[in-house]
Amino acid sequence: MFYGDFCALDGVSLAINVGEFVSIIGPNGAGKSTLINVLTGALRPSAGTVLFKERDISGIGPVRLARLGMARSFQLVQIFPDLTVLETLQAAVVSRLNRGSRLFGSLSRDREVQEGALAIADLFGLAEKAHTPSKHLPQGDKKLLDVASAFALYPEIILLDEPTSGVSTRDKHAIMEILVSASRQLGIKSIIQVEHDMDIVFGYSDRIIALHQGKVLADGTPDEIMADEGVVDTVVGRKALAPGGGA
Amino acid sequence: MTANLINILLGGVFHAAILFLVAAGLQVVFGVQRIFNLACGSFYALGAYVGASAVNAFTGAGGPPALFIVPLALAGLLVGVVGVVVERGLLAFVYDRDETFQLLLTFALVLMLEDIVRLTWGTAPYSTSALYLAYGQVNLLGATVPVYNLIVIGASLAIALGIGWLLTRTVFGRIIRAAADNREMAEALGVDMRRVYAKVFTLGTALGTLGGALVIPATAAMSEMGIELIVEAFAVVVIGGLGSMRGAFVGALVVGVFRAVAIAVYPELEMLMIYLVVIAVLVLRPRGLFGRVAV
Amino acid sequence: MRRGPVALGLAAVTILALPLVAPVYHVLLMLPFMAYAVILLGLNLLFGYTGLVSFGHALFMGIGAYTGAVLTTHLGVRSLELILLASAVLGALVAAPVGALCVRYVKIYFGMLTLAFGMLFYTFLLKFYRLTGGDEGIRVLRPSLLGFDLAAVSKTDYLAGAYYYYSVAVLVLAALLMWRIVHSPFGLCLRTVRDNPAKAEALGISIVRSRWYAFVISAVYAAVGGALLGPPIGNVDPTLAYWTHSGNIVFMTLLGGFASFFGPVLGAFVFIFLQDTVMSVVPYWRLIFGAILAFLVIFAPGGLMGLFAGRRPGEVSRA
Repeated sequence: MFYGDFCALDGVSLAINVGEFVSIIGPNGAGKSTLINVLTGALRPSAGTVLFKERDISGIGPVRLARLGMARSFQLVQIFPDLTVLETLQAAVVSRLNRGSRLFGSLSRDREVQEGALAIADLFGLAEKAHTPSKHLPQGDKKLLDVASAFALYPEIILLDEPTSGVSTRDKHAIMEILVSASRQLGIKSIIQVEHDMDIVFGYSDRIIALHQGKVLADGTPDEIMADEGVVDTVVGRKALAPGGGA
Repeated sequence: MTANLINILLGGVFHAAILFLVAAGLQVVFGVQRIFNLACGSFYALGAYVGASAVNAFTGAGGPPALFIVPLALAGLLVGVVGVVVERGLLAFVYDRDETFQLLLTFALVLMLEDIVRLTWGTAPYSTSALYLAYGQVNLLGATVPVYNLIVIGASLAIALGIGWLLTRTVFGRIIRAAADNREMAEALGVDMRRVYAKVFTLGTALGTLGGALVIPATAAMSEMGIELIVEAFAVVVIGGLGSMRGAFVGALVVGVFRAVAIAVYPELEMLMIYLVVIAVLVLRPRGLFGRVAV
Repeated sequence: MRRGPVALGLAAVTILALPLVAPVYHVLLMLPFMAYAVILLGLNLLFGYTGLVSFGHALFMGIGAYTGAVLTTHLGVRSLELILLASAVLGALVAAPVGALCVRYVKIYFGMLTLAFGMLFYTFLLKFYRLTGGDEGIRVLRPSLLGFDLAAVSKTDYLAGAYYYYSVAVLVLAALLMWRIVHSPFGLCLRTVRDNPAKAEALGISIVRSRWYAFVISAVYAAVGGALLGPPIGNVDPTLAYWTHSGNIVFMTLLGGFASFFGPVLGAFVFIFLQDTVMSVVPYWRLIFGAILAFLVIFAPGGLMGLFAGRRPGEVSRA
């Protein structure tokens, strides 16, 4: 099966292939947020199309996109403050199983939902805090819950908007490790992330796309990007690649 | 025919002039404080009762009937100081709360003020002795119009211009507009928001109470007049657009004249039509005619 | 949480035994309480669980109450089962299009739109005299219960006896059903929509559809409760549909505590009995209740349930 996202943004044209971990990098204002909004169907591009599983998804909105199999997490951590960790994950599983319109069914006796949520909590190391209200979680766990609930949708492709922003350096790699292993176990086929931390970008990506002023400056493997002087100067920065900085 | 039409239209414009004052009070408070003040109708009722009492005391003390409008307007304005009490004593506690709670707090005020009026003035309608026609009537294109109506319409227009001047030409107006746009920014620039809020709410209250006082020679004060007027003022601000002064002006004209025409033509439709317009505006253009607030 | 079932059991025993031990006057006061309890269970699905505050639910109470009046007085239908069913259906039929328009907005705009629809209906009731009896309203004739005519029973025996237990049964059924709804997958989705609409959508939960369902369900509850309000009074009039009535039921919900399932029921109880007590001393219940509401909003937004649970205001007030 071939599927790909095909996007044009200020002349940007790119295809994400099955099995890829793609990082999008670029300075502020390079068009990363616009690209994400276009990719996730929140914005309709003025020209061009976004194809997902051979279907035009431009502007279809988050709900239908999630149904189609593309999930996302947010740059500014998004949680349900008054819901517990487990309830948050249950909501995602309910949505995946399309049971949100079950008005009279018992949630606590829905074994598929209960077990599904617990499995994700285990996978993300949140099981111990399953009954903690989300608002009482430490920042790193909030971030993890945001991502975990997106994973609980079992998407084919997941889009992570700065998955480690606002998280201490110590926790960053832990989050990424969990994330990569979880995506393998859940059969998530592709990951797209937008990330500033070059350590994370070069440590985990199969492919890096550098945006600059709304255009693709470079598109290649981490090694190719690192070898490109122009990209390193404008986007990556020398300091990030200083000895000890690479993973 | 023309005489009849003029009568209906001027009746509508008189009502619009009163409505504008109350709605303007609602708008200035919403624009700056983001509070939808359900109690603005109650302030209107309070103004009506206090105004009537003041006029009765004035004429009772032998004041010349021709000057009744002086104590009336003064009383209407002065009773606006309850705004400070309400703002400092109640609203100041809930600025950081969800707007639901702010709305419910103003509903609490509606309940309290309705009974305070009953406690003070009783349940029977309360009015001034016949002063409505103290300034006589004039003939306008065949219609007989009380001069008092024209005075109120003129006063309301003057107040509308005055508010416009206040908002666009004075330092206070600039502070208000800055606060409405961006509270944090205004605070960072050294504006004492507590004082701004107290002043704005008092201004809003005084507009409502003045509206109530000015209407009283033409009608009797009743304890339910507040909760009845608030839904009309609500229609005005929805049609005009929440937070907009021009919206309050145009909205008041639309509601006032529309209502007058409906009453004359087909009384059953009176407010029914207004609510249909309100719903249509909310559904099709929630910003109203002049609103800037995005939904 | 162990205190919950005990309190509930005690309340149930008290309610069932009340007509046998309490003065008739207090038994009759329980009737509006139970009707409002049904209404508030529904309203809180919208307020507490979905985060939408309606200022127009008097519309649906009015629909229920007038359905009962028109059916018994004009159409010769006396069966309370049919009346409740018709109220529920009519409530849903009106709520479906009204809700579809209203739930596109939140916060103050949702409140204003519901208020406008409520006042539209109020004006209709007031002005279309021939249909609705204008400000005098319509009489509600004594409904038959479960096929029993009961016309021979004295009014007091009917209301404090059969009608009382009938109301208890309706309230229990309504509460059980609502308990299932809020503990269903749908109920969980509602809470996600309340807490964070953007995140809920990203999880594939349709916020508009969830809110719309909640709106229609709450309207059905309001209509059924409204139909129960009619028979004890024997008459329905447009004040039932006035906007202050909508405000009062929001008040009751806040009084009991919107953050808990039974909070609104407690709120209805305290409101009805406190209002009666106050009015037996002074006619100015609004002054006292306004002060109570102001106190609640400022110091105890969690309501009575919040005070019992020792919850701090900050935990229930959502910014």
